[in-house]
Amino acid sequence: MSRHTKLVIGDVIRHLFLIVLVFVWLFPIAWLIFSSFDVGPGLTYTQLWPTTWTLDNYYKMLFTSNSVINFPRWFLNTLIVAVCTCLISTIFILGVSYAMSKTRFASRRLLMNLSMILGLFPGFLSMICIYFILKTLNISGSLIALIMVYSGSSGMGYLIAKGFFDTIPNSLVEAAKVDGASQAHIFFKIVIPLSKPIIVYTIITSFLGPWCDFVFAKVILTAGYVDGYTVAIGLYQMLDKMLLNTYFTQFCAGSVVVAIPISILFIITQKFYVEGITGGSVKG
Amino acid sequence: MEANVKYYSMNPLQKIGYKIYKFFRNFPSHFISWLKRVGLWFEKVWFNIGDSLRIYFKALVDGDWATKLSFLFLGVGSFKRKQYLKGILYLLIEGIFIYFLITFMIPNFAKLDLQDLVKAENVYNPDTGKNEWNNYDNTFLILLYSIMSIILIIAFIVFYFKSIKSTYNIELVDRNGGHINTFKEDANLYLNKKFHVTLLVLPILGVLVFTVIPLIFMVCIAFTNYDGDHLPPTYLFSWVGWDNFANLFGGQIVSNFSYAFQKSIWWTFVWAFFATFTNYIGGILLALLINNKRTRVKKLWRTLFVITIAVPQFVTLMLIRYFLNNNGIMNTILNQIGLISWLKSIGAITTSYLPFLSDPNWIKVMVIIINMWVGFPYLMLIATGILMNIPNDLYESAKIDGAGKFKMFSKITMPYMLFVTGPYLISQFTSNFNNFNVIYLLTSGYSTTDIKLGSVSCSEADLLVTWLFKLTTEDYDYKMASVIGIMIFVVSATFTLIAFGIINNKNKEERFQ
Repeated sequence: MSRHTKLVIGDVIRHLFLIVLVFVWLFPIAWLIFSSFDVGPGLTYTQLWPTTWTLDNYYKMLFTSNSVINFPRWFLNTLIVAVCTCLISTIFILGVSYAMSKTRFASRRLLMNLSMILGLFPGFLSMICIYFILKTLNISGSLIALIMVYSGSSGMGYLIAKGFFDTIPNSLVEAAKVDGASQAHIFFKIVIPLSKPIIVYTIITSFLGPWCDFVFAKVILTAGYVDGYTVAIGLYQMLDKMLLNTYFTQFCAGSVVVAIPISILFIITQKFYVEGITGGSVKG
Repeated sequence: MEANVKYYSMNPLQKIGYKIYKFFRNFPSHFISWLKRVGLWFEKVWFNIGDSLRIYFKALVDGDWATKLSFLFLGVGSFKRKQYLKGILYLLIEGIFIYFLITFMIPNFAKLDLQDLVKAENVYNPDTGKNEWNNYDNTFLILLYSIMSIILIIAFIVFYFKSIKSTYNIELVDRNGGHINTFKEDANLYLNKKFHVTLLVLPILGVLVFTVIPLIFMVCIAFTNYDGDHLPPTYLFSWVGWDNFANLFGGQIVSNFSYAFQKSIWWTFVWAFFATFTNYIGGILLALLINNKRTRVKKLWRTLFVITIAVPQFVTLMLIRYFLNNNGIMNTILNQIGLISWLKSIGAITTSYLPFLSDPNWIKVMVIIINMWVGFPYLMLIATGILMNIPNDLYESAKIDGAGKFKMFSKITMPYMLFVTGPYLISQFTSNFNNFNVIYLLTSGYSTTDIKLGSVSCSEADLLVTWLFKLTTEDYDYKMASVIGIMIFVVSATFTLIAFGIINNKNKEERFQ
């Protein structure tokens, strides 16, 4: 066998293997999409492929509501929460990152170490207390409570943005200082315009959080008050044993509707995601 | 790395080997230097406290009457230097603080022993002829307000010292005939020299309210009997000392909690280990496969895998759970192709299905396998970024030396990856330790047959963190939940401190500036 045929056989095997892997990986998602077009309402145990295809599930999910599901309302709720969370978190994260990266003050290292230590506690532990505080304030179950929970501690997630600010040369900041620019001026007029990629990343990640989280939302939101749900909680409760056989295909349709924008946003940000994790270490 | 001649005369392969050798050889000395750093940090803290006390006493002896009076009434000094607004602010803050201290904080602290309190009762009031709530105490609020009060007191003490210091400094400036800042100039400082304060004040306040106070509260709860039977205000909880910890660690009586805790922590470690390393190695192999020179449409393959990350986990994992149900599609298919009847005929199984997620041993293996489905694409993305950075001459020289593909992987790719992703691997291990989504979503349909575990809402497949979740949301057993939370912290903090202490990347952040 010549060297060329050996290579060709290797290529064929490699590509076949990749196809098998992609098949396995996309299988649940394919099943999700197929089921969303199925005529029957419930979970089918016998086949993957719908016998009759329909757009009915999408129509019902997007334009109707009843006492158990109210997808349009969930979508609106999540959108409100996501936009507010995104605004507050982005301001917090950018502010903290800049302070930690480009300014020097006595307690800087102490604060960074403290935030690392706090991060080691399971986040859910504090939820119990927060839930009762919100209940005392009579706002548990509301969207405001959810926004507060998502964005309150967001300042601790500053590390990736700080890593980015670290790569902006200090000489630039020093030069501006010599010219008499104030710190605020440097931040708004010099550093922020240079940091578009990381701002986009911060905005998108904090926007996506509320769409995917169901742990905190499950604790905060009142069970049974359907109009107050977010998309994640609403969809999750549709898979309850009681509802599964009536709403499974609608659940799939709803999930597809939510997953499409998330996927697009995620594919946009994947580049930053990698840079954030590997950080400066790659360059070193 | 050290700048010695021997090091630079090595070839790239030897360099990596040398780095790893150094890493392990310095293990003990790094650990000791880390301990020293902790010691030095404490020394610095005490020194700073002593230093500020020195200024404080100097101000008391050396200052004029206004500065001296400022010790009692903050802001008097500022009035004398014509900083009226600042003086009013100082006085106002002091006044409000003292008012709250007397009317609110001290009465609250008096109840902090959580004894002889009045629980809420709806009793008949003969005067009005109606049922009315009595004037009751709420142990939850007493504890919460006490923690807030302590934080406020600390904050005020810091503020007090800072204001005295600043009053004295301004007096010194005044004596030397220097310029005294107007209020506007002082405020402008917060856009310039003190800009970090402006940036940090709201985020820190948020962390304080939504993380620090709740965490301190929950740590306190570990020493009380707060649970479903002691829900204030109708049933008050009280301090119980170390009872809950004794309950978890067994002591003389082996409780169901200590039984479940031992099982759960062991499984948590096994899970964290396998979840981290299967994903790590699998992700790298997948990245190598896609980045191979002769693989076509690399971008398409990558995007196809990334799509699986982008769909929310609660959707995909729930689907997989239903797919692998005892009567799910997977078992239907296995039945149709005759695998189940064959397994039955050889006596491997007795049921008419494979118990993917309903048998304690199967479920453990299955969650690790399904976690590969979740994790491979992530690691593939990260590994792709790093693999592109491996200098090509490493591979060229290895090829000339006659190294095979496997040898190049184990001697170049893996060491390089490990070197770059060391910190990530550590944080990945701790986050797998707390990997809530995968375990909770996949195992929420599973109920244990072990009565001892079941009685404390645990199951064979539960990590400490999912157990904690179940204890709070299903059992309202807050006291044990917070003990477990503390244990999670202790374990992950010990692990992280040791691991990062070894890597010691203290100077890294300055290097690229």
